[in-house]
Amino acid sequence: MKDAIVVEGLGKKFYHFSKERPATVLEMLARGLPGLRAERVFWGLRDINFRIAPGQIVGMIGENGAGKSTLLQLLGGVGRADEGKVEVNGRIGGFLDLKAGLRPDLTGRENIYISGVISGLTRREVDERFEAIVDFAEIGEFIESPLRTYSTGMQMRLAFAVAAHTSPDILLIDEVLAVGDEAFRRKCFDRLEKFKEEGVTIVIVSHQVNQVRELCDEVLWLHNGHLVAHGDPEMVVGQYATEMSATKKRRLRSVVTAEEDADDPTFRAKKKVHRFGTQEMEITDVLLRDETGALVQSLPAGQPLTIEVAYQAPKPITNPIFNVVITRDRQVCCAVNTNGETESMALSGNGRFTLEFDRLDLVKGLYHVDVGIHAPDWSHAYDYHWHLYPLQITADGSGHKGVLRPPFRWRLDPAQEL
Amino acid sequence: MNNRISIGGRIADVAGPGGWRRTLIYQRDLLRELVLREMRMQYKHSFMGFAWSLLNPLMHLLVFYFIFRVVLTLDMQRFSSHVFIGLLSWEWLQGGLTQAANAITGNRELVRRPGFNLAILPIVTNITRMMDFIFSLPVLMVILLIEHAHFGPRLLLLPFLMALQFLLILGFSYLVASTNVLFRDTQHLLAVILRLFFFLTPIFYEASMLPDRYGSLYRINPMVAMVEAYRAVLMGDRPLNWGSLLWPALLAIFMCVTGYAIFRRVNYRFVEEL
Repeated sequence: MKDAIVVEGLGKKFYHFSKERPATVLEMLARGLPGLRAERVFWGLRDINFRIAPGQIVGMIGENGAGKSTLLQLLGGVGRADEGKVEVNGRIGGFLDLKAGLRPDLTGRENIYISGVISGLTRREVDERFEAIVDFAEIGEFIESPLRTYSTGMQMRLAFAVAAHTSPDILLIDEVLAVGDEAFRRKCFDRLEKFKEEGVTIVIVSHQVNQVRELCDEVLWLHNGHLVAHGDPEMVVGQYATEMSATKKRRLRSVVTAEEDADDPTFRAKKKVHRFGTQEMEITDVLLRDETGALVQSLPAGQPLTIEVAYQAPKPITNPIFNVVITRDRQVCCAVNTNGETESMALSGNGRFTLEFDRLDLVKGLYHVDVGIHAPDWSHAYDYHWHLYPLQITADGSGHKGVLRPPFRWRLDPAQEL
Repeated sequence: MNNRISIGGRIADVAGPGGWRRTLIYQRDLLRELVLREMRMQYKHSFMGFAWSLLNPLMHLLVFYFIFRVVLTLDMQRFSSHVFIGLLSWEWLQGGLTQAANAITGNRELVRRPGFNLAILPIVTNITRMMDFIFSLPVLMVILLIEHAHFGPRLLLLPFLMALQFLLILGFSYLVASTNVLFRDTQHLLAVILRLFFFLTPIFYEASMLPDRYGSLYRINPMVAMVEAYRAVLMGDRPLNWGSLLWPALLAIFMCVTGYAIFRRVNYRFVEEL
């Protein structure tokens, strides 16, 4: 299937003009043309490469000024790239600025028509959807009142309702779900899920990492105009949160181990990151053992599994959370952690945490055991090993689809006379 | 430099599938909603509503009447008809260009809107002002009748003249709209230039009153021929000089082509400048 969005080698220059730059014709006449040239040019975005399959919800995270909005605009065909290409297959709908085109002095009804038509609907299509839009926005009898008499929440609801009733193939959303009350936000999320079911590709810029984790299928992390990571939300968001926390709290330097280009100091080299964390506590080893105690990378379905996590804490750490996740193809099959499971503890030095599964009833396939140690409030990871420990589950016979493969047997009762 | 989403493609991108028929209907609806929005905005603020758009040229007329008939006692047949025709077509031009200067800078959110074709905005401001012109026509007819005009079939040429003026304004609108994004004092400069050309247009006088040696220089102003043509069509006091319309027509075509080309060239920079 054709990708919904293809971005290759995308770069966009930003220009810093000196304060002397003539902003008016008069100044230009007075000073001549030289001031027109930019003082400093830098790349606001550089070397951005990614592809997004249709029907994915993609989150975009990164600190302010990382280039998220610029990238979103380029995806929407607003502005021009200086190098590389953007290919967007389908009709683009944008929630970049929901209030675009709305006029406070006009009534709700008039604004619905304006907004609808600007979003790509014909008048007749707005007619057909009008009732649904008003219902969704919960505007009721205010529909004939000027927009300026609405509360901010109502205005946003109206704007979102119109956008929710357009039929785009690709939806670009910039930080708009932070508005409205909880109930309405829920409604918006539900609508986004429905868009997804309809096969709409959605790109969301958000600062709320939990929102991204909950909603998205994959995540793009931008830093200083570069794409630092693209992948599984759990992984990228965890990495991002850790990085942010490390920077913010001036903790120990954050260590990220890359599979390739480990020596390259630039951020952008971290293409295949498997490990991140503040290193306040370190995972020194992870061992998988079968019931005999032998180290394994492969295990028959339904057998016991013991996972030993060796840690090292240079300074005492109170109540860290040990977290083990078994995944297959980005799907979480089993996730357990020590949060609330153990007594209050303060760990220091070297030690070992052991997790015992009495039996692992998973279907045949290649799994990964991801292991992490997190801060007590989940705010960041001390250390996280992602996709470093493969586990092959083997099985005979049938039952190789889905996730679970509990013990089973068939019994046949041939036709009997009652 | 290989951005697949070209400006031309943006129209189709937002209008989506459904073939050219839907695209046409969509463009019509978009134009209609945007023009309606402008007009509603214009009239909703004032208590008198759209009466103001009629009163404005009428009050102008009153001022001119006072100055040129009472104070200066200018001798001119059917003075009110002359002046009102000149005023209406001038106000369309002046309002159209002034509003076009803000067409992009005043619609920041639309500039950031994915898939929105900005080229429609100068058309919208132009149509909005043309509607004022059209709404004033009944008043003009009354004045013409009071001053004993005889309407003939030549009145049918009025839409043609309006189309010509529309193109003339549109061409300059693209230029003014683009320039104002880059240099915000364009609108002030424009006001000065418009004031100058207001007096260089035969609104409260006749072009024939000028000494002949200024003739060709004076006619560089395309509005000279336009106003004279309006008078020929509406008042029938002179034959319509088709030859004199050649210059406004050529200028209109030239400006539409170059103005639009410039607009498209700087189009990408709008989002950065705003």
